[in-house]
Amino acid sequence: MSDIVARTLKILTIVVIAVWSLFPIAFVVVSSIKPPGDIFAYPPKWLFTPTLQNYVDLWLEFGEFFQTLGNSIIVSIGATVFTTAVGFMAGYVYSRYSGRLIAASALYMIAIRLLPPIVVTLPLFPIVSWLRLSDTHIVLILLYSAFWVSLVTVILKTFIDEIPRELDEAAEIDGASQWQILMRVILPLTAQGLAAGAIFVFIFAWNEFLFALIFTTSQAKTAPLVLSEVMDAIYGTSWGVLFAGVTVQLLPVLLLVILANRLIVAGLTAGSVKG
Amino acid sequence: MKTPDRGAFLLAAPAHLLLALTITIPAVYILWLSLNDSTFGTQLTFVGLSNYFDVFADPSFWNAAKNTFFVVNGIVYVEILLATLIAAVLVSGVPFRPVLIAIILVPYAASEVVTVLVWKSLMNPSYGMIGRTLIDLGMGLNWSVSPSDALVLVGIISVWQHLPFSFLLIYAGMMAIPKSLYEAAAIDGAGAIQTFFKVTLPLLVPTILVAIIFRFVFAFRLFSEVWLLTGGGPARMTEVLAVYLYRDAYRTGDFGAAAATGWLMVVGTLLFASVYLWFMHRGMRNGNV
Repeated sequence: MSDIVARTLKILTIVVIAVWSLFPIAFVVVSSIKPPGDIFAYPPKWLFTPTLQNYVDLWLEFGEFFQTLGNSIIVSIGATVFTTAVGFMAGYVYSRYSGRLIAASALYMIAIRLLPPIVVTLPLFPIVSWLRLSDTHIVLILLYSAFWVSLVTVILKTFIDEIPRELDEAAEIDGASQWQILMRVILPLTAQGLAAGAIFVFIFAWNEFLFALIFTTSQAKTAPLVLSEVMDAIYGTSWGVLFAGVTVQLLPVLLLVILANRLIVAGLTAGSVKG
Repeated sequence: MKTPDRGAFLLAAPAHLLLALTITIPAVYILWLSLNDSTFGTQLTFVGLSNYFDVFADPSFWNAAKNTFFVVNGIVYVEILLATLIAAVLVSGVPFRPVLIAIILVPYAASEVVTVLVWKSLMNPSYGMIGRTLIDLGMGLNWSVSPSDALVLVGIISVWQHLPFSFLLIYAGMMAIPKSLYEAAAIDGAGAIQTFFKVTLPLLVPTILVAIIFRFVFAFRLFSEVWLLTGGGPARMTEVLAVYLYRDAYRTGDFGAAAATGWLMVVGTLLFASVYLWFMHRGMRNGNV
């Protein structure tokens, strides 16, 4: 008897979790293919004729969105590549070397990352405009990288730890330089770690709002920022267009999270809170 | 293990240069900024502690601090409780576990902007699917008028978005508990609930503690959810500290007062973080990190 109760409770929990996680996302995606008049019908229209009109309107009326999407792509890829490269080199050092300085600087890397980002924008704001870097891709790439380099370093350190030191030593005896060991021995064996680190940076950069709000105005504006502006100025039927834009912004990362969820789990376990 | 040589310094240099230039040096500079009057961070005039006195004398600051305290505590504890519950259900064995984990991770893909937009439209009291239903059930959230209702919605949004993260931390902790302990408990005739409270929970305390501190540090930054949902209104009633700081800095250009608030936030973060770092440090000494 209690077995049946337990099983029912378990299934109920699972259903609740699934609905909780999926419903808001499904709402956006489904709304984007609803006729604009049906989106906010109450009671909700579960049956409707799907339409791509919202996407057509998005393309025709909201060209700025695609420009900002391009900026998002540049900034996200730039930050991902830069952070992964820098984190890979540092991760190797933290894996293969030890000592007081190594331990202290590792702790410092993690500690500094905990500062609230908005606080750091205050001193950076005048410097960025003095360097004429406001509203450029570079400023976002550097900021996103700075806030993720610590975690990526820790993730890669954990993955590089798995590679036997004997491989480094054998290559060294064969006369390989440190850089050659890093590029020819370690790099090919760290693919999974690089991918795990890269995913976190990419998702963050793709979705980031605060830095984009403060440091970009037009040229380097990213997709989340322009969506938030439209959200504030919304009226009537343009909800359909907005939902289409949101779906376009969301879908690539959604697929990434679903397909690469094992890497995210592995990265998080490797990276954050073993202690 | 080798002691650091020139090559090691060169390889670690880019990461440290990046951190120093974009986070560490600016963070120290905030302290100086907070002792000066300035417009958008330029034309500094030294004013001593007067920015701090101004901030402390501002009722909006205290309101923002109070809101931050309640919202952050609410978010963290609800989230950790839900995460523990879900992890316990998953660990106890469910069909399609990998699929379920992928589903739980889905909100992690949504940006803050998308998350707020979705919940804002779902919870709209006049046309939102959930908002209307809640009103019909007599449990409506009047979040566009009532500050406390708005902050509850901010909490719901934030929990929705960050639950995947807390879940993964706690799930990983639960998976690390040796199977033999469960087998021993089963042999002793312990039921599922008894096993959870007598075996799982005590061994999970360090993980939960770390997750709590971690979430505190990150929830403390809370900005976008509030800014995008209410803009801090009505009448600055729903501001949290980061929104208060943002308004001072980027709307009024008063970087001195904003830096004072910022420095207070840094101290607040450090208080939470030091507990976390103490755990990390202990872990490193034992060689687990």
